[in-house]
Amino acid sequence: MASASTSQPQQINVADLELSQLAEVRTQLEEELNHLTNSFTQLKQAQAKFKACIENVGEVNPNNTGKTILVPLTNSLYVPGRLSDSEHVVVDVGTGYFVKKTRPQAKKYYESKVDFIRGNLETLQETISKKQDNLNYVLNIIQAKLQAEAQSAAASKKSKS
Amino acid sequence: MDALQAKLQQKSQEYQKLQEDLSAVVEARQKLDAQLSENELVKKEFDQLTLENTVYKLVGPVLVQQDQAEAKSNVKTRLDFIRSEIKRVEGQLKDINSRAEKKKTELLETQGAIQQQAPVA
Repeated sequence: MASASTSQPQQINVADLELSQLAEVRTQLEEELNHLTNSFTQLKQAQAKFKACIENVGEVNPNNTGKTILVPLTNSLYVPGRLSDSEHVVVDVGTGYFVKKTRPQAKKYYESKVDFIRGNLETLQETISKKQDNLNYVLNIIQAKLQAEAQSAAASKKSKS
Repeated sequence: MDALQAKLQQKSQEYQKLQEDLSAVVEARQKLDAQLSENELVKKEFDQLTLENTVYKLVGPVLVQQDQAEAKSNVKTRLDFIRSEIKRVEGQLKDINSRAEKKKTELLETQGAIQQQAPVA
């Protein structure tokens, strides 16, 4: 998706485009950038969630076996409970499947998730900065064109007067 | 002249309709991609399971215990299904694209014809 749109301005020299076309390219680039930054924040949020899960798994340890806890039935309704199994947790692995894992396994699972997201974040960051460069380039050209236009307008005014 | 105008309008409507179809299909394709990657992640996870890991399936609000082998084959069939769906949608995409391309040339031809008549009229 990204490569197709970035390669196009390179095939046609961006400097040859009309101002209106440049404005179009600019809005398109801005939209793409917006979309990418949104994805970036979403990924960040997901990563934070998984990190929180790692911490929570750490809380379920043998020291806490038998301690009373409050189990949320809904957001505002809790019932008292006791932590009977401190060795296992059930992990959501996606598409409606849950797997019972030991604590170290669960921790490893979440760590690999965090890592997976980190890899994605890095590639996304690269794409974003490339897009940003493209956008800056287009903005520069727009600026230069505007200036050239203003200058030629001023020059023609002078020659008339 | 009026006949040409009417033809132009009809063609552009058809073209627009094709564009709408196209974006719907593209959306479906993206959704399938998301499903594919999610299921692939689940499959990867299942491949790493040991025998003591119990698998549960979310049915409505409750978790139902499920056989590991059954869960694995479920995900596998789902993956196969999604892949075949992607192939089908790709075909649709190609078909609509070529039809839109054809419609576009027809549209341009009609436009050209109108422009040729315009100076005379």
